[in-house]
Amino acid sequence: MSSLLYFFTESLKGFARNLSTALGSIITIFLSLLIIGIFLLGGLVVSNVLESVESKVSITAYVADDASQTDIDALQQFVRGLNGVASVTFTTKDQALEKFKNSMTSNPEIVNQLDGQNPLPASIDVELAEAQEVESIASAIESNETFRKICDNQADPADSLKYGQKTVERLFALTNYIRYIGIALIALLIFIAFVFINNTIRLSILARRKEIAIMRLVGASNNFIRGPFLMEGTLHAIIGAALAIVCLQLLRMFAIPRVQTTLQWLPIDVSNGNYLMIYAVLIVAGLVIGLLGSALAMRRYLKV
Amino acid sequence: MTESSRQGRHGAHSTAEGDVRAPLAGADLSTQLPDLDVEAVAQPSGTPVITFDHVSKIYPAQPGKPALDDISVQVYAGEFVFLVGHSGSGKSTFIRMLIREIKPSSGHIYIADEDLSTMRNWRVPYLRRNIGCVFQDFKLLPNKTVFENVAFALEVIGKSRHVIKTQVPEVLRLVGLQDKLNKRPDQLSGGEQQRVSIARAIVNRPPLLICDEPTGNLDPQTSRGIMDLLERINRTGTTVLVATHDREMVDNMRRRVIALDKGRLTRDQDRGVYGFDV
Repeated sequence: MSSLLYFFTESLKGFARNLSTALGSIITIFLSLLIIGIFLLGGLVVSNVLESVESKVSITAYVADDASQTDIDALQQFVRGLNGVASVTFTTKDQALEKFKNSMTSNPEIVNQLDGQNPLPASIDVELAEAQEVESIASAIESNETFRKICDNQADPADSLKYGQKTVERLFALTNYIRYIGIALIALLIFIAFVFINNTIRLSILARRKEIAIMRLVGASNNFIRGPFLMEGTLHAIIGAALAIVCLQLLRMFAIPRVQTTLQWLPIDVSNGNYLMIYAVLIVAGLVIGLLGSALAMRRYLKV
Repeated sequence: MTESSRQGRHGAHSTAEGDVRAPLAGADLSTQLPDLDVEAVAQPSGTPVITFDHVSKIYPAQPGKPALDDISVQVYAGEFVFLVGHSGSGKSTFIRMLIREIKPSSGHIYIADEDLSTMRNWRVPYLRRNIGCVFQDFKLLPNKTVFENVAFALEVIGKSRHVIKTQVPEVLRLVGLQDKLNKRPDQLSGGEQQRVSIARAIVNRPPLLICDEPTGNLDPQTSRGIMDLLERINRTGTTVLVATHDREMVDNMRRRVIALDKGRLTRDQDRGVYGFDV
């Protein structure tokens, strides 16, 4: 217990005595963790965006104006039964026109040119739970008898089914790539941070090798020599992590709301839990790197 | 030499200095202290403190040229021994083996009955607590005060603050630096710095004090002061081994001289002289 206290006071003293090297290693840890934190945050935002983009993938089945209500109900029933379907809604011709008008508020003359007519077909809108299943669900609808009977373009049923076939394929290829690249990038960054921090700690210990040599000379045990250094490494890691967390929190409070107001269509809001997770990751990573780095760097000076 | 008789020399150390302060660690020590045998100090006998038993050291870099070649020598408790020889004669190897920085290639080294060649690594710090070391370059920590430098030696072996507060000023008084407690090493002269490093070496009251060229950086007059100090420490019962180049010092003091030449023991002489041609 008393030697723990000794380690602690000694690490504080060491901190004051070697202010420049201590600051150096704290700043390195801080910046490394900050970059890791930003990338983790960015990764979460990207994954949010990807999810929302994917969730926008839906299937619209256009229905002929003269389709009977029973057929429409039967088709809706059938689609609901399919795997991977989240919800099915029916949009009447009037609703379609209303939507169209709403999306065209900036060009009211287009709406005016319609001149009271309604060229838009009614449709069945399918929201998907499993966005990647879109192909199989679309083909299932297309081969359905009822759909073939009531679809808007009787000559080519596939034409009445809109889900952006090729676009969807490309989108998924892209989002998957982005995910893999993000994970690889974060792993790489963590590795780089580890190398950096390890180097800084190595330097700060190198600067004090004379002290270590004297400690060994007067018969200090290895654990006793290691203690203050490990404590100092831990202290540096905690301070660095705390600084990184403060920065991320500032970013969250001031920068992100601004970005959100300019890019409203982008869901870059990350939940509280996710922030806490990032903070925990930073502290744990800092501690592991600080302790492990100090212990590794010390090893060569402790050989008898 | 047993543990208790070794510590007996510590007790002798403080009493011989006319020391009225509480001896190290209080009661438990004084109960196991035998009385100082004055004769033993004057005429070394009994169990040796240092025993070299056919010790050779061959560095991997120079396989054909042993740094030490079949050395057998014994140093008894209370002796004052000079280790002399040219550069490269093996003095430093001799000393580095004593604190087990390196192990002999063959043969055995015993310090107070403990065989250094079979000693486990974790025991080495405990060995070094029983050996005070003084070096040519002082090895003081530049950013600590004189007091802190000496206290450091006690702190790192886990002595309490109370022990530190009483023992450090005491040992600094012994080396004549009681007025410079709060100076830093760069504010002291070379001789004073060497005194600090001697104080650090003996503050723990080790039974054996090893000095590697203690006067190598100092002028003759200052060197004499340091040697006087070492002699006083020796008179308190501490065994002192001094490796040196300093012809004048060795010739003046007329103590036991062990001479090394190219790794061989060439002379072991009581009341000897330096003996090498310059």
